[in-house]
Amino acid sequence: MLTLERVTKRFGGLTAVREVSLEVRAGDLLGIIGPNGAGKTTLFNVIAGYYRPEEGRVLFDGRDVTGLPPHAICRQGLTRTFQIVKPFGNLSVLDNVTIGSLTKVTRLRTARVDAERVVETCGLAPYARARARALPIGLRKRLEVARALATRPRLLLLDEVMAGLNPSELAGMVELIRRLHGEGLTLIVIEHIMAAMMRLARRIVVLHHGERIAEGTPAQIASDRRVIDAYLGEEFVLAEA
Amino acid sequence: MDPARLLGPAQIDALAQLGVSTILLGGIYALIAVGLTLIFGIMRVVNFAHGEFLMLGMYLAFWSFTLYGLDPYFVLFVSIPLFFLVGLLTYALVMRGVITASHNAQIFTTVGLSTALQNVALVAWTGDFRFVRPWHSSVVLRIAGTAFNLAQVVAFAIAVALTVALFAFMKWTHTGRVMRATAQDRDAATLMGIATDRVYRLTWAIGIACVGAAGVLVAPLYSVYPTAGLQFVLLSYVVVVLGGLGDMVGALLGSLIVAAVEVVGSYFFGTAWKEVLYFVLFIAVLVFRPAGLFGQRGAEMLGA
Amino acid sequence: MRGVLARHWGALVLFGLTALTPLVVKDAFFLDSLVLILIWGALSAAWNLAGGYAGQVSLGHSAFFGIGAYSAALLATRWQQSPWLGMLLGVLVSVAAGAVIGYLSNRLRGPYFALSTIAFSQVLLIVASRWRGFTQGSEGIPVPFRPGFWTLGLGHVAWVYVALGLALVHYGVQVYFERSRVGYQLAGVREDEDAAEALGIASRKLRVFAVTLSAALTSVCGAFWAQYVGFVDPFYVFSVDLSIRFALNTIIGGVGTALGPFLGSILITSLETYLRATFAGVKTGFTGIYLIIYGCVLILVVRFVPEGLAGLAARLRAGVARSRERATDHAHA
Repeated sequence: MLTLERVTKRFGGLTAVREVSLEVRAGDLLGIIGPNGAGKTTLFNVIAGYYRPEEGRVLFDGRDVTGLPPHAICRQGLTRTFQIVKPFGNLSVLDNVTIGSLTKVTRLRTARVDAERVVETCGLAPYARARARALPIGLRKRLEVARALATRPRLLLLDEVMAGLNPSELAGMVELIRRLHGEGLTLIVIEHIMAAMMRLARRIVVLHHGERIAEGTPAQIASDRRVIDAYLGEEFVLAEA
Repeated sequence: MDPARLLGPAQIDALAQLGVSTILLGGIYALIAVGLTLIFGIMRVVNFAHGEFLMLGMYLAFWSFTLYGLDPYFVLFVSIPLFFLVGLLTYALVMRGVITASHNAQIFTTVGLSTALQNVALVAWTGDFRFVRPWHSSVVLRIAGTAFNLAQVVAFAIAVALTVALFAFMKWTHTGRVMRATAQDRDAATLMGIATDRVYRLTWAIGIACVGAAGVLVAPLYSVYPTAGLQFVLLSYVVVVLGGLGDMVGALLGSLIVAAVEVVGSYFFGTAWKEVLYFVLFIAVLVFRPAGLFGQRGAEMLGA
Repeated sequence: MRGVLARHWGALVLFGLTALTPLVVKDAFFLDSLVLILIWGALSAAWNLAGGYAGQVSLGHSAFFGIGAYSAALLATRWQQSPWLGMLLGVLVSVAAGAVIGYLSNRLRGPYFALSTIAFSQVLLIVASRWRGFTQGSEGIPVPFRPGFWTLGLGHVAWVYVALGLALVHYGVQVYFERSRVGYQLAGVREDEDAAEALGIASRKLRVFAVTLSAALTSVCGAFWAQYVGFVDPFYVFSVDLSIRFALNTIIGGVGTALGPFLGSILITSLETYLRATFAGVKTGFTGIYLIIYGCVLILVVRFVPEGLAGLAARLRAGVARSRERATDHAHA
């Protein structure tokens, strides 16, 4: 479904992503982990069309989408959420999601009905009329997901949607992602919370200094020497064991 | 008193004259722009009323000269503390409330201030064009085939001195460092215990003092009227944008570039169309070099 | 139908009363003020499309006003054509210019955009006031009064209805911006462009559309205004003061609301008319005094009532609703 061919993104002298190749098949739930500054969000920005890579190609469903603007990529069925949430703060939750729905649904009335359904799915129904700005962070992360879902993507990139959540919110989010995946959505998830990631992802890619240093099942990753050195640390291995 | 008009007789070496005119005009523009770049750079506020403070400075020179026969170079020393006070006052009354508001709120507030000040001048002193012409304003110096106005030389010297002084202040004093820290990251500065409100008040007051002094100095060179500031304010923004936000030395260089465009443009196209040149230059710079010719920092913050 | 009534009762009352006024009031001075209120309201509504709904604050919208005014005046005086044709020409020119400004709005944000629009209107001012052979330079153009609808040589009563039609069209366009796919998407772009892009919204195209439409509608008003007032002065039609006035009406009435620009226009235009009557004897001071008041009002509104009159009304209504809700919650508990 998504293929990255030796993608490189530089900022001045700094190479944020170096020759990363990746293959995501329909129905995958791929995790991306790595320390801060490893280039995870930059990679999302390249895939979703926010940055044009200096080298390499991004193929979505076999079509070259490298350098297309984000909205064009979204219309093909690939969208993302933002690590630092970007709600339309002065609009209601329902209006936020309606704007997402309007991408696939042209009529405003139909879009509102559609948005109500998505709001319900994401457990935001009680807050539908609240201003997005007034929501606590846990709900804003949910809104981020809801809005993206409303565009009916086939591939969804989630950028740290679990960061900053309390344990019960976290469990809810994991459940939501599982359910979406169960319904056939393909996902790529960036996450720092390893416990959640280990339970969620089928396959994990590890980035370090912009390079892909490992790929495998959660179990393989947890025992990979390079990953432990670069990111997980000994304590993690001991704790898991 | 258009500097380009000094380009006259063919016997004067045109090229040298263009160069001298550029440098002197650039000095005047730098003088006007330096306060603006300070406010812009540190407070991230676009002050649409900047030209009106310049205009008030010009009127101060005019009335001091007309009523009391005071020379503008003497008034200069009075104007700096006076406009510093005006700055403190306008900050407390007008700017303080919108310092953390959106850019749009700041635009409208300073536009409102500009409209009010312009028309206070109109009501108080009518729309007549007034002139300040002390004895030294007609002194023309001739050196090696070039002719220039003494008042321009003085304005240029003071512009350089002021820029250097502000630069040193920002670089080496504690207050200056605090101001730069606040400019870099308002929230971090607050966390570090910096009273940002005081920093902004001081920045605003210094900026207004600079432009008020500039008004006094340029009064002998131009005519004085309520909307005199408008022609300079856009120009100052060209300078500030060219030089990079909040960059004092950049502002000096930017002034020279703008002056060069004006002097050379007037020479080839006539003075009537020189404003069109500024504005086209202005839009071109904004579109193609929004971070300035020399700098990078800050433009993205403002663009957000 | 009930929804429409509930949402637009303010406009219905306002425009309904305006439609009835000429049947009762015959006073030329009053009708003249009414026409001006409507034209200023329509102009501010046009500004609101860019400045309010799209969030692109322009301080050079007088450029488009001037383009419309000059198109109508030049076509009428040089080629004896109808101002309606002049209006069409003005719209075409403004669409082209508006597209350029719209493109700039994609590259420049906030204060930079405002500054570049001022520069743009100043360029047009210089061209109009210096190009003697074509525009009669700084003397301006007197627009002849030729009776008839096609030539817009109308009496006061007819003008009220023409201006009312204009106001209704502009109000309608604003409502479209509130309650349509385009309107919702534009709100998204205004709030957060990156997020809007992620939701499949072509933010740049949409912004150009909004600014261009705003320019075209401003220019239509310019053409009407030239014909109504009968004189086009470059220093007035391209002035920064005029651009500020479009913004001022909208801000006072409520930025990004359909009724706001008209409420602001009622307030400001009446104030101006009142002051004009009061200070009629003081010749030079008059303009200055009401502009001082404008400036102060602008500062105060931005500071204390940023949502404007329309927003203030909505806030009060929401406050009442909330306290009612709270009351019912208590009753249930």
